[in-house]
Amino acid sequence: MIKAEPRTILNFLHTYFDVVRDLFEFQSHDGLISKEAFEMIVKKHGQQNIVGKLKEYRIVRNIGSDYEMRDVYFKMMEFLLFEFKPLLPETIEKYKGAISELYMKIRLGENHDREILQERIKNISHQIREFVDLVERNAFRLLSETRDLKSNIERVEYRDKVHKASFWIEYYILPLNKILDVNHSESVTNKLVEVSEYANRKRLDFGDETIRTEFEKLYIQLIQTNQDLLRQSKILTNELLPLLERIRTESLILTGFIEFLRHPYRTQTPPLLKGSRTMVYSKDMLFKVKEFFEQFENQESVYYEESDAQFDKWIFDRDLFKTQLNAELPVKDFFGWCSQMLLKEFPNIETEKFFAITGLLFDEDLNVEFPKKDERTIIETLNSRINLPKIKIETPAKL
Amino acid sequence: MVYPTHHKRIVEDLMGGKFILSNEDHYNSLKENDKFYQEFFKLSFDLELVIKPEFSYLLSKESQENFSRDVSIFVAILCYELDKDGQNFMEMLDYHEFNYEEIDRYFENSSFIDLIENNKTLKDQDSRRTLINGMARRNIVHKSFEDRFVFTQAHRVFIEFAKELAMRKMAVSQPETRAEN
Repeated sequence: MIKAEPRTILNFLHTYFDVVRDLFEFQSHDGLISKEAFEMIVKKHGQQNIVGKLKEYRIVRNIGSDYEMRDVYFKMMEFLLFEFKPLLPETIEKYKGAISELYMKIRLGENHDREILQERIKNISHQIREFVDLVERNAFRLLSETRDLKSNIERVEYRDKVHKASFWIEYYILPLNKILDVNHSESVTNKLVEVSEYANRKRLDFGDETIRTEFEKLYIQLIQTNQDLLRQSKILTNELLPLLERIRTESLILTGFIEFLRHPYRTQTPPLLKGSRTMVYSKDMLFKVKEFFEQFENQESVYYEESDAQFDKWIFDRDLFKTQLNAELPVKDFFGWCSQMLLKEFPNIETEKFFAITGLLFDEDLNVEFPKKDERTIIETLNSRINLPKIKIETPAKL
Repeated sequence: MVYPTHHKRIVEDLMGGKFILSNEDHYNSLKENDKFYQEFFKLSFDLELVIKPEFSYLLSKESQENFSRDVSIFVAILCYELDKDGQNFMEMLDYHEFNYEEIDRYFENSSFIDLIENNKTLKDQDSRRTLINGMARRNIVHKSFEDRFVFTQAHRVFIEFAKELAMRKMAVSQPETRAEN
């Protein structure tokens, strides 16, 4: 028995809330508070003197040399901190047994003891409240876990995300959904609908007024309960399940891509057909081009010796020759004039040089006159004898 | 012999390495004559035709096709970077209109920069544009403007490829993990 006033205990919790929260968090994680952890937490807050009070107010109790936070405080801390541990659906499903049992006993004992009937109605109501509470807490926790997984604050690897998402779906969401599925004959929700229909009838036609009031309360509670459960079921099917499925799929795809990017040139990619384009040029063009270039690939080395012989670097100076020609106009035999000009400079006439000078003939300024008769002149170069017409260059007419 | 409607376009597109999308006129004709075309491509070119509810394409016999590899790397890096950026990459591939600037930003800041710089179709902005144009020619993306594009349903080939790769990898590593335990 606790001697202290309730207010004193609440004041104690208020004053030493940090210590109690640390104890709660440790137990949430490890299931029990080891002696060392307990001492470390109390020491960390510099509150070694409160150990006695923690036991006196029944906040903790000894389990061998270790400690455990009592259930009522543990649940209160869970509620205050909104840190619920998701329960396995099989834990929640036990309520189906309790509710079904009480429901059956209520029906069979309708005409028996009034007091026990009243107690059973109150008990079934209590069980329903606990059940709904657990479902809500579980859905909330699962949603929060799923959102954490999605935002990936803990930097979970994609492959672990796939496993985690699959785990939540397989062991928590789908079984919980089954419990809440009103269309499933074995679901708790289906049982609650049945109880609700029964309570609805009895609140109207039961003989005893006190019991009628109890049925009325149960019925109102069940209407609210069914609405709450439907909402939770919607959260599971419309939000949680698609979100987890997406995390699972996304993570699977990213795992695949990361795996591929590790060895992109060693992994076989989707076998897409290489498009064949119609070329405007020949199909064997490539081979022909290759063949053409291949002939240069293995070229034999070519050596050449520099010759000591002098060679003529004569460059035809067009302007000089043209000025000279203009000065000597009229010229009766243009080709003869060309050969004379060369002979002034060189002992012999080279064919190349001769033809270079004859290019003057194409100058548009010159007034060229072709012979009326077949008058020819012969020019002898070093290696040729050239027979040419006598072309006359007249003085340009003055305007 | 009477050939199905759009026969020429179907053969030209598929033989050109193009995906035929379900929203195109000739897709319906292809789907309606599924059996005929499966046989036609098998007997004429020894090629396998894949018809999915959203698109259709021909499978290559050549396993070392560079284009497929380049697109796979492109999509893989893009998905990775989108996810890193907090985006839902599957929705982005389904509905988002990408622009070149955005793509360049993801690729230039990617941690896969070594791989990008060593791949001639991804190494710089111009080469990436050429790759995207190649993807547009094959109906993997649809160019809405000169510098904007959206992925068509054909991108799912690469998504499925990643999924299968991951599942193969996980199937291989699971017995290993068990053996370790």
